[in-house]
Amino acid sequence: MPKFTLNGQEIEAKAGQTIIQAAEDHGVEIPHYCYHPDLPIDGNCRMCLVDVEKMPKLTPACTTLVNEGMVVRSENERVKQAVRGVLEFLLINHPVDCPVCDQAGECRLQDYYMVYGLHTSEISLGMKVRKRKVIDLGPMVVLDQERCVLCSRCIRFFDHVTETGEMQFFGRGDHVAIGTFQDRPLDNPYSGNVVDICPVGALTSRDFRFKCRVWFLHATDSICGGCSTGCAVRIDHRDGAIFRMIPRRNPEVNRSWLCDEGRLSFHELNKTERISRPLMKGRDGVQAPVTWEEAVRSIDARLKEIRAANGAGSILGFASPSATNEGLFLFKRYVGDQLGATQFDFRVDSEDKNVLEEEDQILRHFDKHPNSIGAIKLGLMSKELGGIDGAIEAARAGQIKAGVVIYFPPLVRRPCDEEVEGRVFELIDVLEYSVVLAAHKSEWQTAASVVLPVTPWSEEEGTYTNFEGRVQFAGKAIDAGGDALAVWEAFAMLLHASGAESPWMSAEDVFATLTEHVPAYREVTLDKTRLPGVIVG
Amino acid sequence: MPALPGMTKILLANIDKPDQASITKYRERGGYKALEKALAMEQTALIDEVKASGLRGRGGAGFPTGMKWSFVPRNTNKPTYLLCNADESEPGTFKDRILMERDPHILIEGMAIACYALNCHLSYIYIRGEYEFVANTQQKALDEAYEAKILGPSVMGKDFALDIFVHLGQGAYICGEETSLIESLEGNRGYPRIKPPFPATHGFLASPTVVNNVETLAALPWIVQNGAAAYAAIGTEKSKGTKLFSVSGHVAKPGVYEVDLGYPLLDFINNEAGGVANGRKLKAVIPGGSSVPVMTAAECEGVLLDYESLLKAGSMLGSGGMIVLDETTSMPETLSVIADFYAHESCGQCTPCREGTGWAAKILKNIIAGEGKPSDVDLLLKIADMMEGKTICPLADADVMPIRSFVTKFRSEFEALCKS
Repeated sequence: MPKFTLNGQEIEAKAGQTIIQAAEDHGVEIPHYCYHPDLPIDGNCRMCLVDVEKMPKLTPACTTLVNEGMVVRSENERVKQAVRGVLEFLLINHPVDCPVCDQAGECRLQDYYMVYGLHTSEISLGMKVRKRKVIDLGPMVVLDQERCVLCSRCIRFFDHVTETGEMQFFGRGDHVAIGTFQDRPLDNPYSGNVVDICPVGALTSRDFRFKCRVWFLHATDSICGGCSTGCAVRIDHRDGAIFRMIPRRNPEVNRSWLCDEGRLSFHELNKTERISRPLMKGRDGVQAPVTWEEAVRSIDARLKEIRAANGAGSILGFASPSATNEGLFLFKRYVGDQLGATQFDFRVDSEDKNVLEEEDQILRHFDKHPNSIGAIKLGLMSKELGGIDGAIEAARAGQIKAGVVIYFPPLVRRPCDEEVEGRVFELIDVLEYSVVLAAHKSEWQTAASVVLPVTPWSEEEGTYTNFEGRVQFAGKAIDAGGDALAVWEAFAMLLHASGAESPWMSAEDVFATLTEHVPAYREVTLDKTRLPGVIVG
Repeated sequence: MPALPGMTKILLANIDKPDQASITKYRERGGYKALEKALAMEQTALIDEVKASGLRGRGGAGFPTGMKWSFVPRNTNKPTYLLCNADESEPGTFKDRILMERDPHILIEGMAIACYALNCHLSYIYIRGEYEFVANTQQKALDEAYEAKILGPSVMGKDFALDIFVHLGQGAYICGEETSLIESLEGNRGYPRIKPPFPATHGFLASPTVVNNVETLAALPWIVQNGAAAYAAIGTEKSKGTKLFSVSGHVAKPGVYEVDLGYPLLDFINNEAGGVANGRKLKAVIPGGSSVPVMTAAECEGVLLDYESLLKAGSMLGSGGMIVLDETTSMPETLSVIADFYAHESCGQCTPCREGTGWAAKILKNIIAGEGKPSDVDLLLKIADMMEGKTICPLADADVMPIRSFVTKFRSEFEALCKS
C-alpha cells in the first residue's frame, strides 16, 4: 500500500494503482479522456499529465504506477499550462457543433474548457480539418467523425469487452477518423455502451437523438428491470416521462455496462394502455370501475368465504418475479399469513427453466425478471405446484378455487412472451375467483373477477434481489398516474381491510419489517442496498 | 563514396568494389570470418566486447549498443528477437540503403553476430516500404547465406539455428520508432507504445526484443574481427568509431561518407564534401536529419562531428543525414517543407503531435504564400512549446526542433513574409 504525496497531501494508494486511480479514490479529479476504469489503459489523450518529482518530463497519471514516496503535483502552473495546451489542441479541429450536438451539457470538452481553458481560439474556421458527419452505425449509434477526439475508448470497448472489434481508426495524423469497416452497422447487443463512454458527441444515441437537452433531465438511481442480472442504472426523466437509461458503475455486477435491450426496456412501459382504476365484476359478470376501498373489502370478504368452504389450500398466490421485495413481502403476508394459503409460485416459464442461466458471457441472463431470487427467498415457490402449468392443472382439477395473481410482462421481449401470456390467461380463466394486480391492460384481464392497477418498475421505489442474491435499491422515477398504487400499498390496504396490522407508510417501512422477519435479510439495512448492493444469505 | 584519407574504412570498405553483393566475393575479402570467431566465443563475452567498443546506436538516438543488449533478460522461457531497423525515413538520411544495396552481407554478418550474442534464433529486417528494390537485393543475399549454410538450422555448422526474414513496411516514418516498428511487424497500426515496459523485456510478441539500426549492426563484424580496443581507439572519448554521413543539399560532392567521429564539421563540408556548390556562401547546416536543430554557418565554427560536440553546439548528431544550405535558401520555405513532412507522418495517436504538427504546417503554408499574420511567428513557437515533451514518442519533439531553431535563428525572414 504505497504512500505518496499528491498536491502536498500524503495519501495511501492501493497496491498496483496508477496515480489517476489513487487520486480518484481520494477525491482529486485529474482531467482525462482516454482513461476509463473498466477499459485497458491507453495514455493517448495526454490530458492527465502530472508533475512527478525527479521525472524530467510531465507524465500521464493513467500510465504511471504509484511508488512509495512519490511526490506528485497535478495543479501547479506547469501542469495547468500543459493541460490547457492539450485542450487547445483538441479544440482546434473540433467543429463548433454545440448548438446541435446532444452531448452538450455533459461534454468533457465543454466542461474542461470552463475549468482549464477559457482561451480564445487562434485558428480560423477555414483551417479546421473536415471529416464525415451523421454516419448511421445501426439502430443504437450515430457517428460524427469530426467531433471525435480519438481517445479510442470505443475501440477498446469492442476489442476487450465484447471482443468483436467493430471499430478502428482509419488514416494517419490529423486525418485519422474513427469508424466501422465500410460503415457497417453495429449489431452487437452492447453497442449502446460506446455512446456512454464517448466523452464527446462523436458517438450519440439514436434513441435519444434530439429528444431533450440533458440539463432538463432529472436523474433517479435505479436497477434495470430487464433481467435477473440487476445492472445499476440511472433513469433520466422529465415531467413524468423517461427519456433514457444509462448504466451506473457497479464493479460488483455490471461494471460500467448495460445491454442494449435493457437500455431501451423503459419504452415497453408506454407500449400499451394502463389500467387506471380498480375493476370488479358485478353480478352481471361485467367489470366496472370501483374505488380501492370497495375493491379490497370485497376481495377480502370473498376470499374468506372461499377459504371457509374449501380450506386455505384452495387459494393460490401467484406472484410476479418483476415485483419488488416490498410488494412480494406484503403479498405473502396477506395471502399466506393472513388468509393461510399454502400454494405459491411465480414461474411463468417452463418449470425446469434454470433461473440462473446466463445468456452471454458479459451481462445478460435468460431470466427476464429482476426479482426471481427475491421471490424464492420470500418463500413464493412451492416445489409441489410446479410453475404456472401446475397451477392451471390444479385449478382445472378443482383443488385451487381462487387466486391472487400479480403479473407484469417482461420489459425485455422474447418470442415466447405471447405464449406465456396465453398461459396466464388460461389460469385466470380457469379460476373461479381471481384477483389480478397488473399495470397494463390486456385482453386476458377481462376474465378476472377483480383487476387492481399497480405500479410497475420505475414507478415505485423498492428493492430487487438479483441472480446472485444481491439486494439492490431501485428508486422511483415517475408517477404511475390514475389510481394505481404500489404493489405493497395494495396489500397493505388488503391487510387493513382484513383486520390485520398495517402500519407501513412507505416502502422503506416495509423493507424494515421484511428484514426483521425474513432470515436471509436479517443484517440488511436499506443503506446497504445502495451501490453496490449486498448479497443476502 | 570513399572513406576519407587517413580514416578507417569499417562500413564502406566494400562499397566501390565490383560484385560486392555476392557472397563469394564477400568471403574472398574476409567476409564471415568475424562470425566464425564470434561463434567460438561465450555469448555474454561477446556482449561485453560490444560494450567495450563504445559502439552507439547509429539510427539517431546514440544509445550504447552493448548496454541495450545487456537489458535483455537471459533466463525467461520466452524467445528473444533481434529486429533490424531499416526503416530509414529521417529526411536527409540515405546511408542504410547504401549498405543494403551494395554490401548486403555486411548486414547479415552483423545480424548473425548480434543474434548469437542475444541467443536469438528468429530475426527480421524491417525495411521501409519505399525500398522495395533494396529489399530485393537484401533478400538475394539472404538466399545466398542460406545456401552457404550461414543461416538456417546450423549456422556455420554450429549448434545454433538462425532465420532472418525481410519484412517490408508500408511507407510510414513513424514505423522507424522501435515500438511502432514492433507494432507494425505484429500486424497492427504503427502506433508507438507506452514505455515502460521496454522492448528489452516486452517487445515483439511480448517477448524480449532488441531493435538495432542497419549501420549499428554493420559495424559488428569489424569490431569482432579487430577487437573492441581497436574500435575504441577511433573517435573521441565518448563517441567511438566511425559514422556514416549522407550529405545532400548545396554541396559540390553529395553522397555517403564514412568519417571518424570527432572530425571537424566545416572541414568535412569544405574539403571532403567539396564545399558549398557554385561558389556560394554557407548559410545553414542541418547536421543529422531534419529532426535536429538547424545551425547557422557561424554556429558551425569549431564544431566537431561527434555526439557531445554537436549537443553542446545546440544541435545533435542524429542519423547523420546532413543537409547543407547556401545563401539563396529561403528558411521559411525550407521549414514549411519540413513541417509538411511531420504533419504527414504523424501517426495521430496522441493529441499534441496529431494536432500540433498539422496546425504548424498549415500556418507555414500560409506564411510562405504571403497570407501569414505577424502573430503567426510567435504562434509557431507557442505550438512548439505546447507539443514538446508531452507525447508518447519523440516525433512531436522532432518537429519542435526544426520549428524552434528555424524561427528563432532566422526570425527576420519569417517576419518579412508576415507583414500584413
